[in-house]
Amino acid sequence: MSELSTSLGKINLQSPILNASGTFGTEYFNFFQQGILGAYVTKTITLKPKIGNPPPRLYETEAGLLNAIGLQNPGLKSFLNNDLFDLREYLKIPLIVSFSGATQEEFIRMLEGLELHCGIYGYEINISCPNVENEGIAFGTNPDIVFNLVEKLARLTDRELIVKLSPNVTDIALIAQAAEAGGATSISLINTLYGMAINWETGKSRLSIPVCGYSGIGIKPVALALTYQTARAVKIPVIAMGGIHSWQDALEFFYAGASAIAIGTANFSNPLTIPEVYQGLLNFLTQRNLNLKDIIGKVN
Amino acid sequence: MQYKILPLEKIEKIRTNYIQITIKDEDLASQCNPGNFFQIKADITSQSWRLFKPISVYDIEEESISFLIKVIGGGTRALAALKTGDKLKIYGPLGNAFPLRQDSKILMVSGGTGYPPLAFLKKRLDSSNNILFLHGGASKDDVFPCDCSYTIDGSLGNKGIVTKDIADLLKKESFDCIYSCGPVTMLKTLAQIVAPIPHYVSMEAYMACGVGVCYGCVIPTNEGYQRVCYDGPIFEAEKIRWKEL
Repeated sequence: MSELSTSLGKINLQSPILNASGTFGTEYFNFFQQGILGAYVTKTITLKPKIGNPPPRLYETEAGLLNAIGLQNPGLKSFLNNDLFDLREYLKIPLIVSFSGATQEEFIRMLEGLELHCGIYGYEINISCPNVENEGIAFGTNPDIVFNLVEKLARLTDRELIVKLSPNVTDIALIAQAAEAGGATSISLINTLYGMAINWETGKSRLSIPVCGYSGIGIKPVALALTYQTARAVKIPVIAMGGIHSWQDALEFFYAGASAIAIGTANFSNPLTIPEVYQGLLNFLTQRNLNLKDIIGKVN
Repeated sequence: MQYKILPLEKIEKIRTNYIQITIKDEDLASQCNPGNFFQIKADITSQSWRLFKPISVYDIEEESISFLIKVIGGGTRALAALKTGDKLKIYGPLGNAFPLRQDSKILMVSGGTGYPPLAFLKKRLDSSNNILFLHGGASKDDVFPCDCSYTIDGSLGNKGIVTKDIADLLKKESFDCIYSCGPVTMLKTLAQIVAPIPHYVSMEAYMACGVGVCYGCVIPTNEGYQRVCYDGPIFEAEKIRWKEL
């Protein structure tokens, strides 16, 4: 039987499949065993509670999903006092906490708060959410700002430090290199692309925030190209995501250089995507007598 | 909550624009309460990347679960094209349920596709209650069995919207509790007319996950944006910030 285990910068994963932040919860373990997931990534939390954007927040397009959630979350304090306890008790797989901030200081305060708590294996620094003003993506589009932020955060933790990148930049390789130079131990990409939909009958935007986040099947070729460019530009592992719906999709991302992949929007159209991708990868590699690590980055 | 792929026991076309589908599953049927819904879609290739559609339970008969569905977009059209024995993907039951009253005078008000959850609720409320069920729709094609029906075009029952006589009705009779489901404009009007009588409303929303993780289906409430799929779909009407809807 082939090995599907893989490594991030500091932690080893039994499975190379993660969930994309904000698209998954422990509810899905009603459908499959949690061991099939390499690590559990939380929905992004912020220092203060965030009410999120007004509805409507969702619109399904011809090829993928638009969302304008706006990082609704109960804030760090509530996360530490409630969710973290439940997750630590429930999870048998590594827990990765995704968080974002409006200022460098907020990012630092959040990391300091999280560092006081055990049971967290790593962080995903969300500098790429397109649905909040002056937050998230505002940090993720300038290499100097990325370097300064990551450097400060890296000094404060020995845990896995994943920096999540936006596709909405001119040169993603530069941003990835800035994160690596700052001390990121892995890169994850891509967050949602900018997208929009208008009701042609009324002329009204379909969502409360006209330009919002676009995910799902339609973004796969874009995500694959950005994964390829990023994996060639940095030495640290890359966690790739964007439109992965099947094990065949996942293989493409491994060939392009991803050490792990994440499933997001596909969880909504098929709640069994994660176990089906796992089983498909296992069958494919076993038939060819290969381990996952043999094919990572081996695009020819 | 379970995920299953189940064959259609029965599919019936109802008038021009509705279908009634029935599946058989003892486990799922035994878990359903009025107000609960399932995420459903046709098990066909063209739907494999599409979102599930949230559909309220219409009826439970022993181990059979029925849904009454208006054919509106691609997802419901794909369901309408299925034949007996074809499969659908389904997970649930999801969401909270209507609180069941006893010894109460109850007014039920539904509009259009808001009918099914109230029909199921009526069946589950015991005989100690005295129930008046009003239902309205655009035309006779949207009318289903109830105590008093309304159509906007006047093709069946009373002409006009379902809420038009309720203010007068409340002057003559008192009710202990209101249950409602339908278009937002109808619910908004109703909430104003019937306050401060306890009023439980089943909300509809565009959904992705259906299980509370994506926060896509929220409505504005006094406790912030709450998820229709997980905190609802049943809400106390007084907690909803209707002005923002």
